[in-house]
Amino acid sequence: MTLMWLLAALATVPVLVVPLTSALGRRAGWPLAIGFLALAAAMIPSARDVLDGGEVAQTVAWLPALDIDLALRLDGLALVFVMIALVIGAAVFLYSVEYLGESRQLGFYLWMTAFAFGMVGLVLADDLILLFACWEITSLASFLLIARSGSGAESASARTLFMTFVGGLTLLIAVVLMIVATGTTSLSQALASDVWADRPGFTAVVAVLVAVAGFTKAAQFPFHPWLPDAMAAATPVSAYLHAAAVVKAGIYLLLRFSEAFSDVPVWNALLISVGLFTAAMAALFAFQQHDLKRLMAYSTVSQLGLITAAIGVGTEKALTAAVIHTIAHALFKSGLFMMVGVIDHSAGTRDLRRLPELRRVMPWSFATVILGTAGMAGIPPLLGFVSKETILGSMLEAPGPAWVGMLALAAAGTGSVLTFAYSAKIVLGAFVDGERELKDCHGPGAWLFLPAAAPIWVGLPLGLAVGVLNTPVERAVQAMGSSTAYPLKLWHGLAPELLVTAAAIAVGAALMTRRRALYRVVGDNFLPGTGADALERIFDEAGDLGRRISQTVAADHPRRHVVPPLIVLTLLLGVGSLAILTSGDVPATQPDLWRPVDVGLLVLIALGVIGTCLADSRIAATVSLGGVGIAVTVQLFALGAPDVGLTQLMVEVLTVLVIMLVLRQLPGRFGHSHLRRPGGPLVLAGGLGVAAGVATWLLTGRREKSVPADYYLTEGTEVTGGDNLVNVILVEFRALDTLGELAVLGLAGVAIVAVLATIPSRTLDPPGRTHRPSLRPVGALRDPQARTALIDPESNLRAFQLLLRVVVPVLLVLSAVIFWRGHNAPGGGFIAALVASAAVALVYLSRPDDRAVGSPRVHIALIGGGVLTALVTGLIGYADSSFLQPLYGTVAGTKLSTSLLFDVGVYAAVLGVVMVAFDRLGASPPDVPAEEPAAETPTDRTKEGIV
Amino acid sequence: MTVLPITVGILVAGGIYLLCQPGLVRIVFGITLLSHGANLVLLSSGVSAWRGEPLTGTADPADAGDPLPMAFVLTAIVITLAVTVFMLALARIGHDDSTRHMPDTGENHRA
Repeated sequence: MTLMWLLAALATVPVLVVPLTSALGRRAGWPLAIGFLALAAAMIPSARDVLDGGEVAQTVAWLPALDIDLALRLDGLALVFVMIALVIGAAVFLYSVEYLGESRQLGFYLWMTAFAFGMVGLVLADDLILLFACWEITSLASFLLIARSGSGAESASARTLFMTFVGGLTLLIAVVLMIVATGTTSLSQALASDVWADRPGFTAVVAVLVAVAGFTKAAQFPFHPWLPDAMAAATPVSAYLHAAAVVKAGIYLLLRFSEAFSDVPVWNALLISVGLFTAAMAALFAFQQHDLKRLMAYSTVSQLGLITAAIGVGTEKALTAAVIHTIAHALFKSGLFMMVGVIDHSAGTRDLRRLPELRRVMPWSFATVILGTAGMAGIPPLLGFVSKETILGSMLEAPGPAWVGMLALAAAGTGSVLTFAYSAKIVLGAFVDGERELKDCHGPGAWLFLPAAAPIWVGLPLGLAVGVLNTPVERAVQAMGSSTAYPLKLWHGLAPELLVTAAAIAVGAALMTRRRALYRVVGDNFLPGTGADALERIFDEAGDLGRRISQTVAADHPRRHVVPPLIVLTLLLGVGSLAILTSGDVPATQPDLWRPVDVGLLVLIALGVIGTCLADSRIAATVSLGGVGIAVTVQLFALGAPDVGLTQLMVEVLTVLVIMLVLRQLPGRFGHSHLRRPGGPLVLAGGLGVAAGVATWLLTGRREKSVPADYYLTEGTEVTGGDNLVNVILVEFRALDTLGELAVLGLAGVAIVAVLATIPSRTLDPPGRTHRPSLRPVGALRDPQARTALIDPESNLRAFQLLLRVVVPVLLVLSAVIFWRGHNAPGGGFIAALVASAAVALVYLSRPDDRAVGSPRVHIALIGGGVLTALVTGLIGYADSSFLQPLYGTVAGTKLSTSLLFDVGVYAAVLGVVMVAFDRLGASPPDVPAEEPAAETPTDRTKEGIV
Repeated sequence: MTVLPITVGILVAGGIYLLCQPGLVRIVFGITLLSHGANLVLLSSGVSAWRGEPLTGTADPADAGDPLPMAFVLTAIVITLAVTVFMLALARIGHDDSTRHMPDTGENHRA
C-alpha cells in the first residue's frame, strides 16, 4: 500500500466512526482494531523495502503556488513510529470495547482515530508545513480526549492545551526559520542543508526551539505537569496517547532533528541536562504517588527523560538506545496503563492504599504486572533491560570531558534506583500489601485482560532474541544520518552499565524491604504546590492583567468607541476634499446627474431623518425610519436599479416588522435625555454629514463609464446567458463576494440563536419588566367591537387568517417566479427569498399567540444548508477550472447554469435568517397574562435548538 | 449642481446623531440611516447620469447604469438586515436597551 493511501485510509476512519459507533456502540473498537491491524499488515511490503535499506517516498503537489507538497516518506525511523501507532492502537481499541461503559462512545473513537491520523501523518511527513499541521492535530486530539472526560477534566485539558501549544508555537517559529534559511519546505532537504554547518548561531537558535517543542510534547521539565494532568482522560486514552503515541511524537521530533543538531553543543547540553533531571525528578514524584495512574504518568515522564538524554548524547550507541527504549517503553507502558485499568475494573479503585492483596484473585494479572514493571526497572532478560542498559552505557559517551559522562551515568543510575523502587511499589502495593478484604474483587474478563497483557508479554521473547530488532533499529538510526548502529545484545559482558543496573537493583531492593518507613519519609508532595497549581496561577494573573488593561479603554456605551474614528474620518474627508479642490485639478461633472424626482425624494428623506432623530415615541421613530426607507427605495428605482430597489423594499418591510416585535419588549419612549446635551453629537453629525456630502459631490459623477461597467453591459449576457446583469454579477462574476456575504448573513442568524440561548430567561425577560401598554386607558375600548378585537385576538384574526389562505400561496408562487426569472429580469435568490420571508411574516402575524413558524432545527438547516449549497456549487466549479466557476448546459432549449444552484443557496440562507428573526425575537416573555396560553419562553425554545 | 450628495449628507448626519445616543434601538436606527447613505454613495460611484436599467435588451448599453455598484449595494442591503436583526436581538435582552449599563447576562466572568 502506498503511503498516500495509508494516510487517506486513516483520514477516512474518523468519518467511518460515526456510523460504526451508531451501529455497534462501544463495540466499534472491534472493527477499528481489525482495521488498524490490516493497515499495519498492508504496510509490510513497504516496510520490507525499508528494511532492505531503501526508502519509500511519495509526493503530491498540495499548494504548488507556495511550493508546499504533500510529501510523505517512510524510512527506518518513521517505520518504528508508524508501527507503534498502528499496532498499539489496535490493542487499545480491542481493550476499549471491554473497558468503556455501555454507550455510544462516539467522541472517544472519533478523536482517538483522528489522533492516529495525525500521529501517522506526523511521522510520515517529509514537508515542514505538513509536519507542523500534523503536530497540531495530535495536540488538538489529545486535548479533546482529555476534555471530554467530565467536568473535572476541563481545567486539566486547558492546561494541557496551553503547554502543548507553547511547543506548537516554538515549532512553528523553528519551521518558518528553517524554510527561510534553507529555501525549501522539504524536511529531508532542510535537514541535509549546509546552513547548519555554516551558521552556528542560527543553528543553535533553531535547535533550542525544536528542543522546546519536543519537551512540551514529551513532557520534559518544566513542561511535564500536563501529563499527570492528562490522567483525567479515560485509561485507554492514556494507554495510547500518554504511553505510546502523543508523548512519542515529542521523542520523534527530537530524533528526526538530531541529524542536524547532534553536533550542536547547546542541543547536547539542553537535552542531556533536562532529560536526566526530568528522569530523576519524575521518578521521585512517581514514588510519591498513591494513584496508580498518576504513578504511571510520572513514570512515563521519567522514562522519556532517559530517552531525551540519550538523544542529547547523539552518538550511534545513544541513538540506538533511544530508538530501542522507545519501542520497549511503548510496549510495557501501554500494557501497564491498561493493566491499571484492569485493576481498577476488578477492585473498583486504583489507589494503592485501598487495594487489597489482589494476587489472590488475579494471579495472571499479578504475573503480567511483574513482567511489565520488571521491564520498566530494567531487569534481565526483558527487552526493557536491553534498552535501559544501552541508554546507561551511552551516557558515558556524552560529549565533553570524561567526567560529564560519569556524571550523566550517575544521574541516570539514581533515576534507576528510584525506578526500581516505584516499580516495586506498584507490584507490592497492588498485589501483595493491603489490609482491605477481597470480597468485592473479581478477576478480569479475557477480552479485557489479553489486549492489556499482550504488549507486556512481547517484551520477554523480544528481550531474549533482541537480535531480530537489530535491522529495524539500525535502519532507524541510519535515517538519522549515522552510518551504522550499535549492535543490540542481551549480554554485553561486565560493562559499567551492568554494574550500575546491578547496584540500582540491589539498593532499590534494600530500600523496599523497609518500604513502610520509606513511604513515611518520602511522604506526600514536599513542594509547596504542583505544576498544575503554578499554571493556574499564571492563568489567573494573565486574566487579571488582561482585565486591568482592557479597563483602561472599556466602555459599555459605544459612543466612546465610535466618536474618535468618526472625528478622524471627518477630518480625512474634509481636509482631503479641500486639498483636491484647491489643487484645481477637478474634472467637470457629467451632465444630467440629477432629475427632478431626486429633489422631491430629498425633501421626504430629510423630513424622515429629522423625524427619526427627534421622535420620543419609539413607534413614531420607527414609522419615520420606515418612511426614509421607502423614499430611499424610490430613489433606488429612480437610479435605474430595479433589483436593488426591490430588495430594499422587502428588507424595509421586514425590518420594520422585526423592530415592532422587539419594541413590544422595550419601554414605549426613548426619553428626552438626548436633548439635554445635544451639542457634541450635533456638531459631529453636522460635520460628518457635510464632509460626506462634499466628498460624494467631489469624487463621483466626474468620469466616463468605467471599464468593468462597459464589459458587463456589452459582454455580460453573452458570457452567462443571463440578461439581468446585476444578478449575473451576484451569482457568477462575483459569486465569491456573495458567498462571503452569505456566510456573514448566516452567522448573524446563528449568533442570534446562540446569544439568546445562552442567556438565562430571568435575565432575558426579567420578571415585572413588561412594557406592554395597559389596555384600559385606550379610549377605543368603549366601543364594544374594538374591545372584543383587542381582548379576543382569536376572533379578531379570523378574517386575516382567511385572507392568508389565498395570499400565502400566491406569495410562494410569486417567490418561485421571481427566483426563476432572476437571471433575465429583476429578481433572483435574494428578492425571491425576501418575498417568501414576507409570507412567513404574515403567517407569524396571523397567529393569535406568539408561536414560532419554524422550529430551530429548520432555521439552522436552512442557513447551514444554504451556505453549504453555495459552497458545493463552488466546488462543482472545479470540474471546469476553478472554485465557483459556473458550468453551462442546455436543458429543454433553455440555457441553464450551475449558478442557479448557487442562487438556491442564497435563497435558503436568507429565508433562514429572516425566520430566525421572527421566531426568536417575536416570542413573548414568560410573564404575560394567561390570555396568551401557548406562549413559550424563548429560552426553552432556543435550548431545543441547540441540542 | 447635483442632489444625491445632499441626500447622502442628510442621511449620514442623521445616522451619526443617532449613533451617539444612549439607547441601542436608536443606535440601530442610526446604522440603518448610515447604510442608506453609504448605499447611495456606492451607487453614485456608478455615475448617476446614466439611469437605464442594466437589463440586456431593455436599455441602450450606452444609457444603462453601472451594474457593479448595484450588485454591491444589493448584498449590502441584505447584510444590513442581518446586522440590524442581530443588534435588535441584543437590544431586547433584559427589556432595556440602555447602553449606559451592561445587562446582566448571567455570565460568570471569573470562572
